[in-house]
Amino acid sequence: MTRYVGRRILAAIPVLLLASLLVFVLVRQFGADPARTRCQQSRDLKCLARTRVQLGLDRPLPVQYVDFMGDFVQGDWGTSERTDQSVAESIGIALGETAQLAFWGVAFSSVVAISVGVYSANKAYSPGDYFFTGLAFAGIAMPTFWFGLICINYLTFHLKELLNTNEVIFFSIPNATGHGAINGFRELALPVLVLSVQLVAGWSRYQRSSMLDELDSDYIRTARSKGLTRRRVVWKHGLRNSLGALVTVIAIDAGALFGGLIVTERVFSRPGMGTLFLNALGNGDSAVLIPWMIVTGVFIIIFNLFADILYGVLDPRVRVA
Amino acid sequence: MKVSGGVRSFFCLVLGLALLGGVWASTTAGASAREQSTPGTLKIAAEQEPSCMDWIGSCAGSSWGIWAAGIETLPQALTVTPAGDYIPSSVLAGEPILEIGSPQKITYNINAAAVWSDNTPITSTDFEYTWKQITTGKDIYDKTGYEDIASIDTTDPKVAVVTFSEPFSGWRDLFGGFSFILPSHLLEGKNRAKIMKDGYSFSGGPWKLEGGKSGWKKTKSITLVPNQNYWGDKPLIGTVIFQFITESASEIQAVKSGQVSSAYPQPQIGALDQLSENPELKYEVSFGSVFEAFWLNAKAFPMDSLAVRKSLIYATDRQAIVDEIVKPSVNEGRVLQSFIVPTFPQYYEPAFSIYGTSANLSKVNELMTADGWKKGSDEIWAKGGRKAEFDVQTTAGNEARELTEQLWQSQLAQAGFKVTIKNPSADVLFGINGPKGRFSAALYAQVGTPDPSLCGIFCSANIPTKKNGFVGNNWTRLTSAAIDTPWTAVDSELDRTARTISVKEGQNALAAEAVSIPLYQKPNIFVWNTAQIGGPLQDNPTLGPFFNLNLWYLK
Amino acid sequence: MSSFDEHRQIRESGAAIAGSVGSTALIDEATSELVIVRSQWRSVARRFFHHRVATLALLIFILLALAALGASFISPYDPNPPLTASVLSSARESPSAQHLFGTDKLGRDQLSRILVALGQSLQVGLGVALLSTIIGVTVGSLAGFYRGWIDALLMRFTDLFLVLPALAVLLIAAKNPEPSFFGLFDLPPATSTEGMILLLAALGWMPMARIVRGEYLSLREREFVEAARAAGAGGPRIILRHLLPNSVGPIVVFATLEVGLAILTEATLSFLGAGVQIPAISLGNLIADAEDTVGTDLAYLILFPGLVLFLIVLCANFIGDGLRDALDPRARK
Repeated sequence: MTRYVGRRILAAIPVLLLASLLVFVLVRQFGADPARTRCQQSRDLKCLARTRVQLGLDRPLPVQYVDFMGDFVQGDWGTSERTDQSVAESIGIALGETAQLAFWGVAFSSVVAISVGVYSANKAYSPGDYFFTGLAFAGIAMPTFWFGLICINYLTFHLKELLNTNEVIFFSIPNATGHGAINGFRELALPVLVLSVQLVAGWSRYQRSSMLDELDSDYIRTARSKGLTRRRVVWKHGLRNSLGALVTVIAIDAGALFGGLIVTERVFSRPGMGTLFLNALGNGDSAVLIPWMIVTGVFIIIFNLFADILYGVLDPRVRVA
Repeated sequence: MKVSGGVRSFFCLVLGLALLGGVWASTTAGASAREQSTPGTLKIAAEQEPSCMDWIGSCAGSSWGIWAAGIETLPQALTVTPAGDYIPSSVLAGEPILEIGSPQKITYNINAAAVWSDNTPITSTDFEYTWKQITTGKDIYDKTGYEDIASIDTTDPKVAVVTFSEPFSGWRDLFGGFSFILPSHLLEGKNRAKIMKDGYSFSGGPWKLEGGKSGWKKTKSITLVPNQNYWGDKPLIGTVIFQFITESASEIQAVKSGQVSSAYPQPQIGALDQLSENPELKYEVSFGSVFEAFWLNAKAFPMDSLAVRKSLIYATDRQAIVDEIVKPSVNEGRVLQSFIVPTFPQYYEPAFSIYGTSANLSKVNELMTADGWKKGSDEIWAKGGRKAEFDVQTTAGNEARELTEQLWQSQLAQAGFKVTIKNPSADVLFGINGPKGRFSAALYAQVGTPDPSLCGIFCSANIPTKKNGFVGNNWTRLTSAAIDTPWTAVDSELDRTARTISVKEGQNALAAEAVSIPLYQKPNIFVWNTAQIGGPLQDNPTLGPFFNLNLWYLK
Repeated sequence: MSSFDEHRQIRESGAAIAGSVGSTALIDEATSELVIVRSQWRSVARRFFHHRVATLALLIFILLALAALGASFISPYDPNPPLTASVLSSARESPSAQHLFGTDKLGRDQLSRILVALGQSLQVGLGVALLSTIIGVTVGSLAGFYRGWIDALLMRFTDLFLVLPALAVLLIAAKNPEPSFFGLFDLPPATSTEGMILLLAALGWMPMARIVRGEYLSLREREFVEAARAAGAGGPRIILRHLLPNSVGPIVVFATLEVGLAILTEATLSFLGAGVQIPAISLGNLIADAEDTVGTDLAYLILFPGLVLFLIVLCANFIGDGLRDALDPRARK
């Protein structure tokens, strides 16, 4: 097992390095010049030259890259080329923000997806099943940014008018004025809803399919023929065994969320990894973009690895090699 | 297949850890959002988060930082009133004494009571340190003017005598403007940028950051508390929180519902109607020194012809643009007739009124035909086989600007010009196309103040060229003595009267050379909840509406 | 293949429709020979039309496509009119009899603009699906059949892109104002329709290649391939006459899903400002321009473009589902 994990991690390193190189070259070539952005409104014409030297942007590209990566792997993530803020701190704050949304999104979506999936498998081909299938299709086809704006329009603003309250019920931006669980709920309700639309759509279908596979398998038929009630069969065996596969899928999708919430965070003005990326991209800030790519890559790899291990643990038929 | 008990417990352990992790994530986030809602707290919506608090460094350069934290916590020699006048701040004991002559000298008499938050007096050494930092320190944003200082006499700690090597007419912005007086006793010999950039615990103004660096909760808010050692009008509110609400619609909702007591949002259509729905809210629309204009590249065909440039102005219905773009959001607006804004009435000269405010197609025909142009069968002007077609660029995704472009395109089409819209992203427009002259016409904003003067954007010395590494803000690229002479004089003329004459002459020259088409001043909306706060609230186009925050009180 | 790997495949393809995507329905098992008979296609069609929702979706899709093509007939207004006083005076009108989807802030008819934007979306969707299918099938065939370095390269390539967040990579790549094919010749930038198609296809062919590769890996062990080889057939012949036709099922299904996915991705990129710029119209930038109308009376400027976007993608996905059922009736619904 350790060898397997070790090998996977080692294989991941060149991939991450290649990705970082790619990002660096693309951003330097086609992105903004952070020195220019800083000096843009200055009437001092020498500001640009000074700042370029200060940021080391006047050095040849390979030197910049090697120097940066050298510091990076030793733990010094440096400062943003645009804001001079500590990159590690900025990524840390952004990760916390995204992790919060991702956690609640995954938690809520898992519960809903499992319930819907189990129900659909249980009552396969019934009108209820078709209904949820339709919803799942809707979820997959749903443009996230549009759905987010629609939710804000109706659930934040129109609902407030409808109920004639003083404040909005569901916040469309991070709630900075209140504290406590209720305000936290009001703040996260809409982003989680938007996020869960896609997750639930895919997961519920997967759960349904995988459970139908289970229920169709020999051992279940044997159990049924032996006289076990359907309920016992479905819940005790079918669910538990199909859950394993779903959990691995959830793990993989969760890992992708750390870099995958760009649109949701943008629509709800959340200062997470997605917003950090968009701002850094607009500023041509490779000092932030490269660590960003690597961190999100690491999360994807770790969660994928975790999913692989989990699957191997849960299903000994699969060789983890 | 049975799932073994061992696996089951492993599974439960994993789920348990995940749950714990999530709870941790939510509570730490919740904790940081848990602002102290103590009585005596004022909440204000801030539309932008400052990038750093090292105000003289290049990482700053953001107005909101200055408005929310800079002027509250650091002293400036001269301050600017809402009417645009420079007056001595509480740091000075009286007007600075200007000696015009060779050399130029300014004497600042520092208020005997002026002290830093640790009770150390504010002295002339602080002036000297600030000057030295700006001229020789790391990563400085703007050295203009400070480089013309030869020495600062600090023999009297409460009198700073600044001697210049070159005359500098914008001296009123020194030790003020977008920089501040820094505490030499705390920063001398240390890394100023590192100490200040994430927030600092010292203060020379009415407020200080609560807990120093921790007063700036990144991505969330800036918290200010009164500086107990401030010698002037002490604040009447216990805590002020500037909350970062970057989205305009949400900002308006927040102030409408009373979540925040004040805001300074970007105007947008329907905003004022929304605000009017709450009778407790009062708003003030003001027009600041930032204006929108079309900038013409005099090196690009057909802008190289003065007749064409003038025709373009005559073809533009500026009133229609104001009616469609500005009025729907703030219910008022007028065409700007110069590049100095009327906020400075002593300098303002409506030079562009010669072009009127609406389109004058007969004038267009007159000028173009006199210049040798003829309309082709497609109704587009042509001369020597080349058509009067060109591109216009602005920052992509900016709706007001995109609408303005499309209006202009239509107006010019009626006058016989073919305009193509080609919008790059902001960083490409300002980083590449503008400096390198890869545009024919561009739509963006500039600042129209006599200090700093317009030489930066119109004098030929400031044209970016390959030779100087494309540095310079004169993107219109016109070399004209008629423009250079008055505007260069403005920068060195110290006599008020002579200066005013040059400024007005300069404005007329700009209208005559027609390198740019001024459209309108960008409006600001300052809104506050009269049931929650009182005091002499008003907008200050230079320093922001929170310039007198220490005089506000909670009801 | 374990069901986990299958799922991974589906995950990678971005299509979260569960169920196996494998298809071997067209092999005549009795003779171990591939026979594509006319009647087979007819039965495919029959099974498709039996799927009522997919049929309805196909109908709606065709109607929408026709509407986009015939935009000038359906809506008499110019999507990009000269902004005369009469146009401006009809600004900000809610949906009415004259303007079915209302007018925007400059008085332009939304229905006309949405139809033009829909046309652009369809171009991008179909273009990307076609192009990425061609590339993906080619690479996947070579990788799946010949194995060797092509296969290894493909796997490493897809691994690289699995580790990178897709939207982030697209946003960075779209920043390139003057893209070129490895310096040999210029390509259109992402802000044009053609450039967008190229960009999305260039970064989106991998899942198709993986699917084709997977199919070939499982098929090449079958007897009919052995038989063909024994009969002296060379690689390309085997690929083209035997392996490819048998993989048509998953290819067609995935290509259809690719249409919806490409339309969504293009709209998202345009919304974020990385796609076509005005005056070109995209469903994404229509919504972006209207973003500040959230909560106001003008919110219909967001509602309608998004509904159309949602509808077209939904139809494409249902068509894909119908095709999947039609091509592989043994797969679980």
